[in-house]
Amino acid sequence: MIEVRELTKRYGSATAVDRLSFEVGPGRVTGFLGPNGAGKSTTMRALLGLCAPASGAALVDGRPYASLRRPMTRVGALLDASAVHGGRTALNHLRWLARTNGIAQARVPAVLEQVGLAGVARRRVAGYSLGMRQRLGIAAALLGDPGVLIFDEPVNGLDPDGIRWIRGLMRDLAAGGRTVLLSSHLMSEMELTADRLVIIGRGRLIADTSVAELTARHGRGVLVRSPRADELAGMLAEAGAGVTADPGGALSVTGMEVDRIGDLAARNGIALYEVTPRGAGLEEAYMELTADSAEHRAITEGGGR
Amino acid sequence: MSDVIAAEWLKLRSVRSTYYVLAVAALVVLFGVLLSIQGVTYYDQASPEVKARFQAIPLEEYFLPFVQLVVGILGVLAVTSEYATGTITASLVAVPRRGVMLGGKVAATGAVTLVMGTATIVAVFLTGRWIIGGRPFPGNTAPVADRLPLLAAMGLSVMVIALVGLGLGTLMRSTAGGVVSVVFLAFVLPSVSTYLPDPWKGRISAAMLPNLPGELAGVTASASSITEGPFARIVGLPPLGALAVLVAYLALALGAATLRLTRTDA
Repeated sequence: MIEVRELTKRYGSATAVDRLSFEVGPGRVTGFLGPNGAGKSTTMRALLGLCAPASGAALVDGRPYASLRRPMTRVGALLDASAVHGGRTALNHLRWLARTNGIAQARVPAVLEQVGLAGVARRRVAGYSLGMRQRLGIAAALLGDPGVLIFDEPVNGLDPDGIRWIRGLMRDLAAGGRTVLLSSHLMSEMELTADRLVIIGRGRLIADTSVAELTARHGRGVLVRSPRADELAGMLAEAGAGVTADPGGALSVTGMEVDRIGDLAARNGIALYEVTPRGAGLEEAYMELTADSAEHRAITEGGGR
Repeated sequence: MSDVIAAEWLKLRSVRSTYYVLAVAALVVLFGVLLSIQGVTYYDQASPEVKARFQAIPLEEYFLPFVQLVVGILGVLAVTSEYATGTITASLVAVPRRGVMLGGKVAATGAVTLVMGTATIVAVFLTGRWIIGGRPFPGNTAPVADRLPLLAAMGLSVMVIALVGLGLGTLMRSTAGGVVSVVFLAFVLPSVSTYLPDPWKGRISAAMLPNLPGELAGVTASASSITEGPFARIVGLPPLGALAVLVAYLALALGAATLRLTRTDA
């Protein structure tokens, strides 16, 4: 269980996180989304007691992180995978970590095996690829078998195989009743992994919703192509759907599901060449939601926004 | 706390820089051996008049600033390598009570540098004595047992400079800054202070880290005839005063480090 309450963090005159509140519950993967500079990492650092908020609170299991005894057995975190002493071997890195929290040394080879680094455990981390370092970071997070897991952009640097592995791991961890908070600036990644989404921009909460809700709310309707488009458009409008004709001759239908469109067409003997739900609007929905809050953005054609 | 100390001990053992420092410490001993051989060779070939005027700084006194510098760098690296690589984040996530984290580091680094410093100094001393043999070198004739308090005090001073380096490294979060601080404490400041006008020369020099072990062990006058520069050993404080100054070094550096660590974001 993670609670962020009215969290505010300033760096000089810049407000990185602005009265941010949300909760992350167990048993599902919660995606923490926002453009670069939205305050995701700052929020996670506040949760782990690495930076002190100006006001508000970031709590894990109802308590500030710094007050937890043996915190790695309660919370596992991956912040910056490259932040490991390159001269140390993966084995030694995990061994000292385990020692700080009184975690049995037997857990070290176990998690190395779990993340697929057992074969290179005795090699210096300096020789690792970014993907291997991500795996090492995940191994460190899992070391204390914690109930709460916090991952900051864990798929960065992973190959497709690795990405698929992470997705499965996140889902397994959540299915086991753990609280999983996973940050990313890529909606496409979240779509496949997360159940819930917390979207922030410029340090403020933009949306706290489920993936299904967001899809429903921002769906772009159904694309319909037919040789008798004009006739069909009239019928669909009569049946209560919103219909607009696209320049290419296709119809954009909103407020009606694919099945009903098909039934209606069949009943009237109208052939359909294409009926495509435009559900992939999640990425667009996200862009739309965060459009005003992107911190860094290139000036688009024409110089305007 | 014992878990944190054990973890810090593991950290020290699992990076190469610790072994590099150990190797350089061994090199210091080797230089001591070479210098002794050179001194002995010169002495044996000298005429009786030259022998009568022969001066020799006790090797352990001569080499103390080198040992302080080399082992002091280990103290600096114990913390600044974490800032340089980002490992400090992992350390603070694992041990969020920052005073405890620093305490574990101080305990482990203190123990390692005390052993390393004392062993190096003793090795320099014993190899020197062994090579000099029965020759009546000034400052090198006292019975070994009589020099033990001084050697112990020297080992202690090496630990202090390493922990001061650890503290200043925490304060500055920079390896370069920490190493320069240690160079200043072991060489620059003790050297500069000998060029001050009296009475400041004596007062300031007496509080310099390379001079404190002699004072702490109650060695009333240095055997060295050098009175200026980095190798001048100037005594002026009573043992308790020297101890107070040693403690003050530690308290200042580690106090500042604690404030920096607990009051600012990681």
